Amino acid sequence: MGKKLIELKNISKSFGDLVVLDHFNFYINENEFITLLGPSGCGKTTCLRLIGGFETPDDGEIIFDGKVINDLEPNQREINTCFQKYALFPHLNVFDNIAFGLKLKKLPKTEIVDRVHQTLKLVKLDGFQDRHISTLSGGQQQRVAIARAIVNRPKVLLLDEPLGALDLKLRQEMQYELKEMQRTLGITFVYVTHDQEEALTMSDTIVIMNEGKILQIGTPEDIYNEPKSRFVANFIGESNIFEGIMIEDYLVKFVDREFKCVDKGFHLNEAVDVVIRPEDFDFVPPSKAKIKGIVDSLTFKGVHYEINVMVDGREYTIHTTKYREVGDRVGLSVEPESIHVMRRQRS
Amino acid sequence: MKRLRFFSVPYLAWMLIFIAVPTLILIMLAFSDYSLYYPSRFEITWVNFQIFSQSYMSKAIIYSFGLSIITTLICFVIGYPVAYYLANLPEKTRKIWLALLIVPLWANMLLRIFAWEKIFTPLSIFTDLSGLSLDLLGTNTGIVIGMVGMYLPFMIFPLFSVLERMDYSLVEAAKDLGATDLNVFFKVIFPMSLGGIVSGVIMTMLPAMTSFVLPARIGLGRINLIGNIIESKFMKEVMGSGGLSINVGSLISLMLMLFSVISFVIITRFDKEGETLI
Amino acid sequence: MKRRKQRILMAKAMGVILTVMTFLILYVPILLILMLSLNDSARGYQWEGFTLKWYAMLFLDDIMKDPIVNTISIAILSTIISTILGTIFAIGIHALEKKRRVRMMVMNNVPVVNPDIVTGISLMIIFSILSFTLGFSTVLIAHVFFSIPYVILNIIPKLKRLDPNLYEAGLDLGCSRIEAVWRVIIPNISTGILTGALMAFTMSIDDFVITYFTSGNEYMNVSTWLYAALAREGRNSFTPVAYAYNTIIFLLTIIIIVFVNTRKERKVRTHEKSTSFTP
Repeated sequence: MGKKLIELKNISKSFGDLVVLDHFNFYINENEFITLLGPSGCGKTTCLRLIGGFETPDDGEIIFDGKVINDLEPNQREINTCFQKYALFPHLNVFDNIAFGLKLKKLPKTEIVDRVHQTLKLVKLDGFQDRHISTLSGGQQQRVAIARAIVNRPKVLLLDEPLGALDLKLRQEMQYELKEMQRTLGITFVYVTHDQEEALTMSDTIVIMNEGKILQIGTPEDIYNEPKSRFVANFIGESNIFEGIMIEDYLVKFVDREFKCVDKGFHLNEAVDVVIRPEDFDFVPPSKAKIKGIVDSLTFKGVHYEINVMVDGREYTIHTTKYREVGDRVGLSVEPESIHVMRRQRS
Repeated sequence: MKRLRFFSVPYLAWMLIFIAVPTLILIMLAFSDYSLYYPSRFEITWVNFQIFSQSYMSKAIIYSFGLSIITTLICFVIGYPVAYYLANLPEKTRKIWLALLIVPLWANMLLRIFAWEKIFTPLSIFTDLSGLSLDLLGTNTGIVIGMVGMYLPFMIFPLFSVLERMDYSLVEAAKDLGATDLNVFFKVIFPMSLGGIVSGVIMTMLPAMTSFVLPARIGLGRINLIGNIIESKFMKEVMGSGGLSINVGSLISLMLMLFSVISFVIITRFDKEGETLI
Repeated sequence: MKRRKQRILMAKAMGVILTVMTFLILYVPILLILMLSLNDSARGYQWEGFTLKWYAMLFLDDIMKDPIVNTISIAILSTIISTILGTIFAIGIHALEKKRRVRMMVMNNVPVVNPDIVTGISLMIIFSILSFTLGFSTVLIAHVFFSIPYVILNIIPKLKRLDPNLYEAGLDLGCSRIEAVWRVIIPNISTGILTGALMAFTMSIDDFVITYFTSGNEYMNVSTWLYAALAREGRNSFTPVAYAYNTIIFLLTIIIIVFVNTRKERKVRTHEKSTSFTP
């Protein structure tokens, strides 16, 4: 870890009047699983396509392994892509699909056969080599698409929302498998998705994007626990966001009450946003609580209840395994470690 | 894929040369008295429009429109039910019947017209083989029957393709909402097949209106259609007659072109990329 | 309930009757041509007995040799040229953005909708302007001209059904642009190419009007030759060899189409057979 493999320097890209990326900068380390996460239209797929060579930037440089590759065609880059709808070749069977890239490189036949079989084993499709693409299920097609890319031993694998078409259980299974594959193969995975759970599960690093800009880069824990902005806090996980004032280090005031917290480094009485995750609130007897309210709604979510509590005309969302009825008077408490303070951003 | 766009550039050039340029020339010829034999003479004039005052021209126009409209109507009345029936056959048989409809189109057009001539001749070989003696040469009826025999498939194909592709869940939805069979037909099926109807009507009417071999042979030259006039203006009078025949011919051709452009615009309202045309 | 069933039966009966009528009106002339080709009579006024001599004459005699050779060579050449060009153009058009693509397709469809006469005259004019002598080359160009749109109309729907990333997947795995077109796109639109070629062949081999205007006085295909023969000696004389020719070409085309179609179905069936589906 640590070696910069891919770097995007000052990249700008527009489609007609629409500016998708504007002076965009970031880099990817060797051997990491990095995910570009953001809502539709944020520029993450464009970013991926620029790296793959399917689009050329209007401005800026794409650097791969120290060399500028702006002018290299996709077939000249040591990068392979797993496309959103798999893009498997309907006129070829599984073996020929996977072997496609190897045949173009004119490798000896025995080596091709070996590598294809190895890769089939890796994606757990042993025995499928003679099957026709149209007879495969979605999950199987997905694996063939991955196999076809990694059999070429690229330095980087680009994945464009590959799991979107699969059902939930299958998606979760594949998430683990992809993570395992990345660790075993030692290839850099650049993954694009709008599903934050996916990003949290698989990534070493997450890059949160919106409207062509990077909002935050960090490990899944960092981003979840220390979101730097309202958008990130809302995008990842559920949250309760309050406007508050940082009275002094370790002390913040919001909803007209003062709370001890673990953040520092803000100006005295600086206006801030405070984020508290729904699972960090706890129910306590109302008489002992700083925050008191009435239960407004209750939804069973399987793993927990989602309970909305009205406090002073404001709705708080709580995730808890404790049952409360609608109309109950409840008291809420929260640990100082669970109070996250962010700089207030004017949206 | 974007980089493959340049493949289409030569086509643009090709089409411009073969469509745009001749059209411009036709316009130029139609509105002037330019002649290849007197290239110095060029004056923009309406003189060519006089052709429309000639009785043989107006007669031809009336006949062309009239006969083609009748033909189209007959083709529609026969063709729509047939297309509907075929579209509802099981998938395997459907293809065979459709293919059988295309097959006659592969026989040489002139020979087919000639065969119709024989059929319409009393006491011909047709009589020998079938026992029927028809005497329809030189009649409008003969021309119409001949045209229907030529153009019926052109009506059926677009109708068939539209009816086949229709989403039957719409019919089920209509029934669910209380529609009777008749309702379903007039309020769901018919309106949804409009694209095919428009294509079918145009693909039948235009060729019918502009054919010249068929009326020349079956009509025994007694009935002249627009196509015949154009042909005679361009081909038979081309060789140095000195008259304005080419100019007049161009004008008439332009008129036909205008008509087909209008029809074409109508089609594209219903079918932007022309998928019903084949 | 009964009334509805009755109505449906009546409707079906109508459908059948009209279909039968349709086939009658379409096939009676064809059958007549067939009979004329077997008729032992030079003028075909009456039925005078079975014979195969016209078929023999077709191959042994020189009467129709020139027009037949012309027709077939133009058909083959124009099919090959228009299929190749049409495929390339279709791929190009498909890659365009929506606005331009619709515009190109509108232009593409002009020769399809335009009446034969207008196309024929337009081409004749352009050839005179460019001082081409009317003959083989102009007829070939004309046939290519009116065939390409049909090829394109057959290929574009197939292109639309392809995975949008297919071409890029080819590039991604190491193809150059041309290689990607050849190895990835073409194999998957092959049915469209084939049907397009067949349509081009059919339109060319039978064409009369456009060839009439663009062939000048010397060059003739079968159709223009027939027309000239009719115009020449009065109304009813050309050799019945023409009927024999037509019947043979006719049967040939049917065989080709049946062959192509069964090949298609066999391919689909082997796909489905060779694999036992396990989800």
